[in-house]
Amino acid sequence: MKLDGEHVFNGPREDVWEMFYDPAVLASAVPGMDKLDVVAENVYEGVMNVRIGPVSGKFQGKLSLTDVVEPESLTLMVDGKGAPGYGKGVGKVVFTQNPDGTTTIKYDGDMNIGGALASVGQRMIDSVAKSMIRSAFETLDKALEARLAAKKTGTEVNFTPPTQTEFASGVAKDMVGGFTKVPEFRLILYILPVVAILVILALVLGK
Amino acid sequence: MTQLVKINVTVNGVSYEREVEPRLLLSDFIRHDLKLTGTHVGCEHGLCGACTILFDGESVRSCIMFAVMADRHTIETVESLGTPDHLHPLQEAFMEKHALQCGFCTPGFLMTLVDYLGDNKNPTDEEIREAIDGNFCRCTGYENIVEAVRLAAKKMAAHS
Amino acid sequence: MAERVFHKSILRNEDPQILAGKAQYLDDIEIPGMLYAAFKRSDYAHARLKSIDVSEAKALPGVIGVYTAEDFGDLVKPGPLQVPPPTAIKGATYASRTIMPIVKDKVRYSGEPVAVVIAESRYIAEDACDFIYPEFEPLDAVIDLEKALQPGAPLVHEDLPSNEAAHVIQERGNYPEAAANADIVIKKKIYMDRVAAVALENRGIVVNWDDKAQMMTIWCGTQSPITLRNATATRMGLFENQVRVITPFTGGGFGPKINTSMPDDVLLTELAVRLNRPIKWYEDRRENFLATTSERDQVHYAEIALTKEGKILGFKDVFYHNSGAYDSYMMTVPLNTQTHTVSNYNIPSFYTEIFMVFTNEMVVTPVRGAGRPQGVFVMERMIDAAARELKMDVAEIRRINLIQPDAYPVSTGIIGQDFVEGVLDSGDYPTALAKVMEMIDYKKFREEIQPKARAEGRHLGIGICTFTEGTGVGPYEGAKITVGGNGKVSVATGVATQGQAHYTSFAQIAAEQLGVEVKDVKVITGDTGAFAWGAGTFASRGATVAGTAIHLAAVKVKNKALKLASQILETPESELELVGGFVQVADLPDKKISLGDLASKANPMRGTFPPGAEPGLEAVAYYGPPYGATGAGCMAMILDVDAETMKPKIERLVMVHDCGIPINPMVVEGQVHGGVQMGIGNAFFEKVFYDETGQLLTASFMDYLFPQATDMPPKMELGHTEIPSPLNPLGIKGVGEAGAIPTPAVFTQALEDALFDTGVEIMESNLSPSKVYTYVQKAKGA
Repeated sequence: MKLDGEHVFNGPREDVWEMFYDPAVLASAVPGMDKLDVVAENVYEGVMNVRIGPVSGKFQGKLSLTDVVEPESLTLMVDGKGAPGYGKGVGKVVFTQNPDGTTTIKYDGDMNIGGALASVGQRMIDSVAKSMIRSAFETLDKALEARLAAKKTGTEVNFTPPTQTEFASGVAKDMVGGFTKVPEFRLILYILPVVAILVILALVLGK
Repeated sequence: MTQLVKINVTVNGVSYEREVEPRLLLSDFIRHDLKLTGTHVGCEHGLCGACTILFDGESVRSCIMFAVMADRHTIETVESLGTPDHLHPLQEAFMEKHALQCGFCTPGFLMTLVDYLGDNKNPTDEEIREAIDGNFCRCTGYENIVEAVRLAAKKMAAHS
Repeated sequence: MAERVFHKSILRNEDPQILAGKAQYLDDIEIPGMLYAAFKRSDYAHARLKSIDVSEAKALPGVIGVYTAEDFGDLVKPGPLQVPPPTAIKGATYASRTIMPIVKDKVRYSGEPVAVVIAESRYIAEDACDFIYPEFEPLDAVIDLEKALQPGAPLVHEDLPSNEAAHVIQERGNYPEAAANADIVIKKKIYMDRVAAVALENRGIVVNWDDKAQMMTIWCGTQSPITLRNATATRMGLFENQVRVITPFTGGGFGPKINTSMPDDVLLTELAVRLNRPIKWYEDRRENFLATTSERDQVHYAEIALTKEGKILGFKDVFYHNSGAYDSYMMTVPLNTQTHTVSNYNIPSFYTEIFMVFTNEMVVTPVRGAGRPQGVFVMERMIDAAARELKMDVAEIRRINLIQPDAYPVSTGIIGQDFVEGVLDSGDYPTALAKVMEMIDYKKFREEIQPKARAEGRHLGIGICTFTEGTGVGPYEGAKITVGGNGKVSVATGVATQGQAHYTSFAQIAAEQLGVEVKDVKVITGDTGAFAWGAGTFASRGATVAGTAIHLAAVKVKNKALKLASQILETPESELELVGGFVQVADLPDKKISLGDLASKANPMRGTFPPGAEPGLEAVAYYGPPYGATGAGCMAMILDVDAETMKPKIERLVMVHDCGIPINPMVVEGQVHGGVQMGIGNAFFEKVFYDETGQLLTASFMDYLFPQATDMPPKMELGHTEIPSPLNPLGIKGVGEAGAIPTPAVFTQALEDALFDTGVEIMESNLSPSKVYTYVQKAKGA
């Protein structure tokens, strides 16, 4: 699966870069991430809860940053596995300072998935992955705003990451949008009830 | 161990009180706890329709419901329709039109259709196909099923 | 004369029980003390298994045991070949690498089992799988058939020099010469991708070892119960009569249920003895997609050589056949492709070459059609390409090349799945073609309907293809018929039933000879306790081969009854007849004796018994054909394609079919209907899709599109030609796979014809709207 895109952060490149290097911020930005520990320089280990359509479960993962050229670019490697399968990906992230004081980050990566995640979840994983990325950037936007504000005023960073429920409803919304473009129109009829039931069950059982 | 939940379900006119795990699927409850094995399970994700039953009179898929959701509700399964010696008109029509081969999907079709024909006395072929679109059959190519439904509608009209 | 029951649409004996929900299928079987199995399967398609930690799973409450390769010792070795290798074909080479019961050190397909859990409930067994932690070293996967054979490709079996599983060349005539003499030679690359059988009931097994009786009983919806019994006895060191295999009602087979010595039957029989408890395993749908065999997936490089008048002089086909990770089923599928590529056309020169390839995908074994749809697809697509090139009508180019009705028997020179040279025993292909053209009003469609539709901007296309179906192959089947003291008749045969109406059609064959009612004949199929000789239900052979054995046994029983009745009624046998459960004097119907009384008299409990006599009204007979009976047919289809969404609607579908004399025409039509549905799925909806790392991406009905009622044509218009097979006394031929064989070819042809204005040429099946759209865009040069 290819993942590429870009996002503009409303702040200078150094601050964006610094934020990326803070595991607490990264952990809060990735939906479902329970924790992210630094195990060596540029190597993190974490536990993440993932729900992709009918497939859900805990993933144990390792995230490492290589080819680090501060504050311009880095290569991100993710390697995770859990009961629902495995995922392995490599992506290049480039940070560009824009003349207007904002920063564009461009990412371009490849992800391999296996197990139930692939055999049952693949049809949805694209949407979920895009949702996760979008949601992560939204969180990071807020985190950056809070960081810049705190920097300006010299106060504590005031920032709360979104909840799982907020994320789940975001994914459902994205998927509905995404699937109207699929030519196999009948899929919508298949998937929507299943997704709806699973989301509802997840919410009910979650309580 | 998970805590068991007491439920009270009426199936085919018989009231059952059972203690079940909250995660027990309704299809498994019907098949394995109540031993009503006429209801079949073909996909376990709510698409093939083999596990269709009537839940308070409406056709639903029992493989994507939990047994606890049936507490204080009424269920009908294929066993409620007819016996081998006294088939329901719908079952008779299936036999007469050769609308079943391996028969694994058949109970699901029958339960979808008793509900449907209750509300639609004289459906067109196209409407019949729409009605059974959520039930998968690998053996018949559906054509004889459509004919059986047409015949069943006539038979049921004559019976009522 | 007795009323005839053979060749008659008689309603099915088995239906009332099934319709009332009283038929027992596999998962309905519950035995006190029963345990449940679940398999932990590999997420990787190709990997080394470094270690596996099962301690957490073992500790779960309700788990009885968790077993890995090291717990099974010598049992962990390649299983027996299910089908013999192609040694009958000169120059054939092959490597047999049969399926492993459990992964020892290397995973070869995603879904291969690495551990098996036995627990008090299925829920607990499946839970426990999540607490098993295998450590894998991933390897590059072998997926692409052609790349798999290139030097340096990763090896599925590292003890082999390459991923080549087999190589076979067969030819007749001289293709290079034919090509040299031809006016035109056309070359194309053609694909057909994988489909799953998708029986509505998944695979499963119940095993019960009775330690006191020292008896193993296996319930399994297998298509080959006797093979399962024999393999189990051999493997476990038991006598054959210590193992009984019973097939309960089975929710569809379609091919994959033929396989035995699979991980489930090998491991669970062993564990049932070890634990001295009955064990059940019933696959879920995802497992069915992952770890039950499937078929198709071939890449063909085909060449057709013709005169400018459209006469085919030669055909060449070099193809790659995906065998999956193992080849326990050897070459049945690709050999069927070879024998069905040119069979119905008169083509003097034919060269066909198979490269069978190991890949990191699930094992390939026959799925309804079994190699035939590929052969027919390749041939028919090539003829269409020729028609386009020569600007000929697609029906006409077929007509002038068909084998003529006076030519039979026709030797094909190509050895098939039964390892003898193919012979077309009988048929009338031109009549089938003419009949289809008449039924679909071909001329009117071409001259009026289509031009008018095109003028209105509608995309209406027609396809018309012919095919043969080699059916009823050997080796043999048998049957035992017994008349009871109450006059009711039992028929036992070794083949198993998965919905084909054997309980009725076999009863008709026996009832026809014995003069009893069809409902008074009880047929037992697939119970080795009742009959234990035979090969199984496959290759559209049950009705032909077992049916003929039943006929022969019934004739024996009839003769026995006539002989005995002749003594009792003091009337010559020639003046007796069997009617309504009695043997009676033809001219004096009151002078009679019931079959039940005869059966009792033939089985005296006191007194004497003549030397050499056999007790009861019972007989056993066997039948094995010298070669298969060839069914055939012609199909046409009219498609209305929405050129914006590429959604096709099948407006009409017409098929004329020859399966000799149908035992029960109603059942034959049902078989054709089901086959056509699978063919439509194969053409447009269904596709088993593996990604480049060997991950199966279509393991649920959300991704694997199953043809539904609204996807089918409003009516399948069927016609029949009844050309009796000279190979058996009933004149029957098989029909089980017929509908599935021509459909992808006809569908694709009609699709091209509908989209003629785009100039699109489609040389693959397993299409989808998006795929057709891509083709059209490419054709338009966009």
